[in-house]
Amino acid sequence: MATTDTPIDPEEYKKVTEAMYKQNLELARLYKQVEVLNNDLGTANDSLKELIKQRENLVHLVTHKVKGSFTRSKYIFAGILDGTFGEVNTEIKKRAEQGLESDNMGIETVDLVLSVANMQKGIVKYDMKEMNLKEIVEKTISEKLMPAEAKGLKIETEIKEPEYKILGDAFWLKEVINNLIENSIKYSRTGSILVKMIRQDAKVLLSVKDTGIGISDEDKKNLFTEGGRGKDSVKINVDSTGYGLYSVKLIVEAHNGRVWAESEGVDMGSTFFVEIPLI
Amino acid sequence: MNPTLQFPQIAIRIIKEQALVIGPLAWSEASKVTGLTVDESQNSASFSGDSKDVVNRLVAQYERIFGKASHAVCHDAVQDLISQMSPEEIPSSLK
Repeated sequence: MATTDTPIDPEEYKKVTEAMYKQNLELARLYKQVEVLNNDLGTANDSLKELIKQRENLVHLVTHKVKGSFTRSKYIFAGILDGTFGEVNTEIKKRAEQGLESDNMGIETVDLVLSVANMQKGIVKYDMKEMNLKEIVEKTISEKLMPAEAKGLKIETEIKEPEYKILGDAFWLKEVINNLIENSIKYSRTGSILVKMIRQDAKVLLSVKDTGIGISDEDKKNLFTEGGRGKDSVKINVDSTGYGLYSVKLIVEAHNGRVWAESEGVDMGSTFFVEIPLI
Repeated sequence: MNPTLQFPQIAIRIIKEQALVIGPLAWSEASKVTGLTVDESQNSASFSGDSKDVVNRLVAQYERIFGKASHAVCHDAVQDLISQMSPEEIPSSLK
């Protein structure tokens, strides 16, 4: 580098020093602003944490209370049906059956909300074991054949390989598959449901394709979000909680997997995909 | 508040505010001020002689090197402290 022997002019030196000071001062001001914003953010974060904690406590309290009420009335209806309270006429029996079914649905919903709350808190313990995902899929399909047939729907499968070995929790994965097939049944008026499993790279790709109401672009955004109920879906399934697909997402992600949905649009059917690493 | 207690606070506040802009240089420049003894590790300052003059010299020390902007920094840094003092107690450089 070239150097010069010319001494630095003291006036020039002062100008440069002052200019640098002004630049530093601006930086110091920015730093202070960032510090204030950081503090505000920290306070907001603390408030948010407190709110989340309060909400969690409220969810637990309400759901336990509601579940307790459902359980008590369930046993009353069951008692009516099994003759605990003596002979009852056909009309009362019919009403008791309806009541029992309604209570069971209520308990199922409360359990789902509780499970999601526990998943969010990270207190769900997954019992990860080596397993064949195909077995769970086939078992779930066999349980869903009757409700599908009752609606005039056909469940078809395309599962070529004898096994798809993964590391997973059988209980929670069954919930995932159950949820996807159940949704396909609920949201399809006619046609069929195709459950497919393929090996893709080092993963198993499970898809559940239906000929149902499809998903609008607007609803796609809310599909896997907490409480995300689609505009069109509530027309068909008034009992939709908006927690089903959200729980699917949480469970699949806990298995290092991915879940997504595709649909050409309203009334064009939907396909839900679950991808989980193979071992 | 007793001005004798107030002046070391004023000096420390000024030095710390300058340190935010120019770093540790703020402490070494302060140590060159006649009548002022500073200890960075203790965040302390002590005076000998007229305290008002010492504060004025401290402000001038920064201004001599860093210009008018540094004077404004000193002034702004101690606003809450000098608001509690009577006008005759306030060093001229901070008025």
